[in-house]
Amino acid sequence: MSSALVLEGVTKRYGDFTAVDNLSFTAEAGKILGFLGPNGAGKTSSLRMALGLVAPSAGLISVLGETDAARVRHRVGFLPEERGLYRRMTPVGAITFLAGLKGVPHALARRRAVDMLEAQGLSSAMHKPIRSLSKGMAQKVQLLSTLAHEPEMVILDEPFSGLDPVNQQSLETLIRGLADRGATVVFSTHVMQHAERLCDQVVLMARGRKVFDGTVKAARATTPRILLLEGVFAAGVLSDLPGLGHITTTPLDTGAVRAVAELHAGTQVQTVLKRAFDKGLEISRFELKEPTLHDAFIGLTDDGEAHA
Amino acid sequence: MRRLLKIAWREYLAYVRTRGFWFSLLMLPVGISMIVVAPMVTARSTPTPTVAIVDLTSRSLTGPVALALATRADGAKPVGLVVAAPGAPYRDRAEATARLRAYLAGPRTLPGGGQLDVAAIIWSSGDAVSVDYWSRDIASGPVQSAISEAVKSTVRTQRLEASGVDPAALKAIDAFAPGARAFSPKAEKGAVALKDQLPGIAGAAIGYLLWMVVLTGAGMLLNSVIEEKNSRILEVLLTSASVPEIMGGKILGVAAVTGTILTFWMTIAAILLAINSPDVTADVAGFLLGHGRWAYFAIYLIGGYLMFATFYVTLGAFCETPRETQTLQGPLMILMSIPLMFMSLAFTHPDATILHVLSWVPLFTPFVMAARAGADPPLWEIIATSALMFSVTALELWVAVPAFRSGALATGRFELKGFIRTLARRGG
Repeated sequence: MSSALVLEGVTKRYGDFTAVDNLSFTAEAGKILGFLGPNGAGKTSSLRMALGLVAPSAGLISVLGETDAARVRHRVGFLPEERGLYRRMTPVGAITFLAGLKGVPHALARRRAVDMLEAQGLSSAMHKPIRSLSKGMAQKVQLLSTLAHEPEMVILDEPFSGLDPVNQQSLETLIRGLADRGATVVFSTHVMQHAERLCDQVVLMARGRKVFDGTVKAARATTPRILLLEGVFAAGVLSDLPGLGHITTTPLDTGAVRAVAELHAGTQVQTVLKRAFDKGLEISRFELKEPTLHDAFIGLTDDGEAHA
Repeated sequence: MRRLLKIAWREYLAYVRTRGFWFSLLMLPVGISMIVVAPMVTARSTPTPTVAIVDLTSRSLTGPVALALATRADGAKPVGLVVAAPGAPYRDRAEATARLRAYLAGPRTLPGGGQLDVAAIIWSSGDAVSVDYWSRDIASGPVQSAISEAVKSTVRTQRLEASGVDPAALKAIDAFAPGARAFSPKAEKGAVALKDQLPGIAGAAIGYLLWMVVLTGAGMLLNSVIEEKNSRILEVLLTSASVPEIMGGKILGVAAVTGTILTFWMTIAAILLAINSPDVTADVAGFLLGHGRWAYFAIYLIGGYLMFATFYVTLGAFCETPRETQTLQGPLMILMSIPLMFMSLAFTHPDATILHVLSWVPLFTPFVMAARAGADPPLWEIIATSALMFSVTALELWVAVPAFRSGALATGRFELKGFIRTLARRGG
């Protein structure tokens, strides 16, 4: 499988401040990569370097096989975090213009603009000034203008921010469609649910450093599963159960106790439960919580920040 | 180049489709029409005031004053319409004042109908002659001037005749006017004609026009870049085109806009001038097109526009709001008012030292050199000042390209230190 985007030991400094520190990762062609991290983690700086907007202070970047991003700019689409278009232009005009800059002939760009707008249910708005459109419609128009030249790689900076749930769903569908037709999608977000549903690969950043790079499943695996037990038992007795890590207990009004315990990797839940019954513990509630990407994100970025 | 032209075309259309563009386009013709038509409309809509003349001097001044008010050499409306003073004759000045004032202050009408607007009571004390000038409205200058001039002239004539001056000789003396003619070695035929003065007038006018066009165009660019930076379109453009293509496209697009307006204005001006003064039109055209002056003006127009446009585009990339630009433009406009103050000298004193000095300041070169065109500056000075101007523009472009990128991607309010640091980074 070929690599669409490769960063090797990339660092970006602004004076004394290091925005990105020794970042390396590879985005495989035709896959969806989520670039995750809290605000100020260095996501936008990294994406700008990948786009060739700013030069790295150190390291190497290769985009679609080229080390000079300017040479492949017509093969890349970009949606910035803060969005806006020419307010007096029409959606058709704006999409045609931006696709034209990417090398699409005028007539073809215009035809694509009309087709895309119709497909997105924006037929009635395509000849109105963008300033008269709703925020959601304008955001859709901007996204379409990013895609009208049919790029091989699409970089989306926080594409879900500001979208209502319906438009978020529609954007997810659109991103999947891009990957289905073979385009590589790199998007940054701090909304983990989108990344969890969409991404083949996630790169987690914290304070300019990469703290994780792998699949969503692998990211989840970095965080222990949580076992919740409620019943009438002494808190100390739980430490005798196998495979449990850090345990916190809370007394309930009913006189029972709620215990939340981390489950060691590889531990079978059934084994823990059997042992509890063997010891005669009176258990009224038993629940296993698989970690989400959000849990992994919190865990990894906390660690990242703690280690920084 | 294709991308540059696409950006330029979008920029051009963006302006041409605004109401402001059409307003700018029509501003000059409408302005000229207003200047021509407004005085005519004012003259027609102003009623001729009624004037009562009361002569208490026994010098027979009523006739000359009435004649002065009724006569206009240019065939326009008379200054005043003389009416019989109601209730005349009067015993003295006090009675005349009291009676006439009643007609001026209130709704009381004249015996024949209508109202009295002005009353001139001419009285004497010894040799002195005075006029009490009463009017319904406080400002009634032309009538007052006409009456004063008529009284002064008549009394002067009477006194000179009383001193023994022959009336015929007096008439001849009054009619005398010296035949003054101006000569200059620079004039085509020795004697200075309008044709000889036209180059100076046209040069200075073009200097002012260049100043206006260049700074207007640069201001438009500044606003355009701020709008694109604010909406983050600039960031998208940077992923689609190179900085020189973006800057070049914007500069070319706005140049086309100002060029359209300028061409329209000049065509209208040429048509109006050709209708009213075909000879002057031919002389002006001869000056502008003769001796390669069109190229001379083009060099300074292009150089000046590039110099200011580059600076303003770069500055715009560092600003977030119009307020920031206004703050920055203030000091710059004060600086740019310097050539304006001295450019009129190019007509009256084309060899003034200050004009020579300002010609060598690159910021002022395009305007001052254009204004000096009528004096035909030496070729070496044209080449040297142009070379300096274009060198400064090239240096500016060299610094502006990375600065523009840096500014376009920066966020937050404008910081002069950051702007200078970015410029210095390339310079150093």
